[in-house]
Amino acid sequence: MRVKLIYSHSVVEKPILASIVLKTGIPINILEARINAQKGELIISIPASGEKLEEILNLFRESGVQVQEFIETLRIDWDKCIACGACISPCPTRALRFREDWKLEFIEEKCVACGICVAACPVKAINMP
Amino acid sequence: MSEEDGEIRSIDEINEKIKHGDAVVLTAEEMIKLVESSGLEVAAKEVDVVTSGTFGAMCSSGAFLNFGHSDPPIKMARCWLNDVPVYKGLAAVDGYLGASSMSETKGFEYGGGHVIEDLVSGRDILLRAESYGTDCYPRRHIETAITIDDLNQAMLVNPRNCYQKYDAATNSSDRVLYTYMGTLLPNYGNITFSGAGQLNPLCKDPNYETIGFGTKIFLGGGKGYIIGEGTQHNPTSGYGTLMVKGDLKQMNSRYLRGASFHRYGTTLYVGVGIPIPIINMRVARTAALKDDEIYVDIRDYGAAVRPDLRPVIKRVSYAELRSGKVTIGDRDIPSSSLSSYKMAREIAETIKKWILEGTFFLTRPIEPLPKHGRTKPLKVKGRELRVGDIMSRNVITAKPSDDIKEVAARLVERGIDHLPVVDEDGKLAGIVTSWDLARAIAQDKRRLEEIMTRKVIVAFENESIDVVVRRMAQHNISGVPVVDRKNNVVGILTTDDVSRKIVGGRTAQ
Ligand code: SF4
Ligand code: SF4
Repeated sequence: MRVKLIYSHSVVEKPILASIVLKTGIPINILEARINAQKGELIISIPASGEKLEEILNLFRESGVQVQEFIETLRIDWDKCIACGACISPCPTRALRFREDWKLEFIEEKCVACGICVAACPVKAINMP
Repeated sequence: MSEEDGEIRSIDEINEKIKHGDAVVLTAEEMIKLVESSGLEVAAKEVDVVTSGTFGAMCSSGAFLNFGHSDPPIKMARCWLNDVPVYKGLAAVDGYLGASSMSETKGFEYGGGHVIEDLVSGRDILLRAESYGTDCYPRRHIETAITIDDLNQAMLVNPRNCYQKYDAATNSSDRVLYTYMGTLLPNYGNITFSGAGQLNPLCKDPNYETIGFGTKIFLGGGKGYIIGEGTQHNPTSGYGTLMVKGDLKQMNSRYLRGASFHRYGTTLYVGVGIPIPIINMRVARTAALKDDEIYVDIRDYGAAVRPDLRPVIKRVSYAELRSGKVTIGDRDIPSSSLSSYKMAREIAETIKKWILEGTFFLTRPIEPLPKHGRTKPLKVKGRELRVGDIMSRNVITAKPSDDIKEVAARLVERGIDHLPVVDEDGKLAGIVTSWDLARAIAQDKRRLEEIMTRKVIVAFENESIDVVVRRMAQHNISGVPVVDRKNNVVGILTTDDVSRKIVGGRTAQ
């Protein structure tokens, strides 16, 4: 599950994420981070579900971090896609790749919605909703 | 005559077999597998035809269109299809629509390639034309909607298609480049390449033994013909090209796709496939060439120079490029294609199917294509204007430890805006502008080194003015110090110098 964390000014300097990882033993992965002295935004992927996931989300909330669900990043129009590959190597997180049969594959969990592939696609098959 | 020249079978014999449904046809990938498992001899004996294919952006593509005469008739002097300009230096109602001609209203988003796709899809196209009116063609304006069925002829005639192979691209510069080779990330962030390698038609018969004038091919989903070598045909270096023709009305938009490369322009993805008759051992061998035997250079698009002078970073095989990463030095750099291997494969399969069904017969070329020849660069008459021609050599510099107020006074007195900062040895250490100084004084800063910009955009004396002007525009700056290879400041070039010294186009001084 991927969520977006919004750190306010008052909590931005506390090691919240690290302590939650230590406490729960769940290896949370940071996909993207935008932090400055005033506030921070993290997009993380939590390899957990059900109660465990709720527990983690609550720990963030209790620490004063706003938690938002991170929903659909890209929409690929598979009828338009010509499987050229022009979007693959520019993607900074390797979220796009070829399958064995040379069809394009999108690995949503890795995508950070940077939009580079949208510009890179020559037939406009990728959109950001 | 070597052993390889001995004829195994003739094209006529193959056509006889096709007629009887006995021909053995493999795609290039299947041929490679067969050679690996059974050896070349066996494969050459068994296989009659090997099919190839490629599906990539081919800018030198377009269509001759004949609109038919209206009543009263018009001699179209200027013409647009969906706002895309059509070349009208032909007879009254003939035009040529080029794939990279761009819409006058939508720009990069829509161009000739898209119009061709829309025509082939049967969509309505807005035709607009203007004329000056003549005795025989009195009409001066026309605006109507047409479809491909309304056209008398719609002929795809592509002056350069089907490159044998194409050099890959990377970018050493510190910014993202948007090129016809796609998005190139800074600092060698990625590599892009084009061409189907082991499926690519011209890689399968690089000696032009079976591919020539008049060869029947798969073109855009229909049947077409090779009508000669393409422009920039460079067989000596292994970069051959083809000129092809086919009837647009019989094509399929699955294999003709309008495309646009971000901030570069529009183009057309064209599907081309050629059947290779296995007439002798040499052709059998080349038809089985593999990705790891086909090499191209990776060139640095970060250098704004003539394409053939772009520095070569590495020579690589298609196998390495297609693996998804290329090792350069101690780094693994992500690589990906711009042309579709999946579609190339589909095209090779389609020709195979046509031949097996008995609906596609092979043709013997009426003449061979040139096997030798190179591509020349364009000679520019008169010398290209260089930075050294118009920069100011009398450059005023400052030291990092200089006092800001004193420096500001000096700038005002001389009426200049850019001040390179040099260290003890005369090497460039930073730059300040009059604006930086004004702000620094307001903030009560003291020394130049506190405020100078240390990452300086520079130019070299022998660089082209156009290149440096573009660099300044990209960084939104109005002046650059000119340095030598040892980073000594030798001059300064400002947008003022450029506009003042280049008057009326290119006549300097
Ligand atoms: S938006 Fe595109 S380029 Fe950016 S991370 Fe997602 S898939 Fe990759
Ligand atoms: S660049 Fe566009 S057409 Fe090419 S593989 Fe990616 S999504 Fe498909």
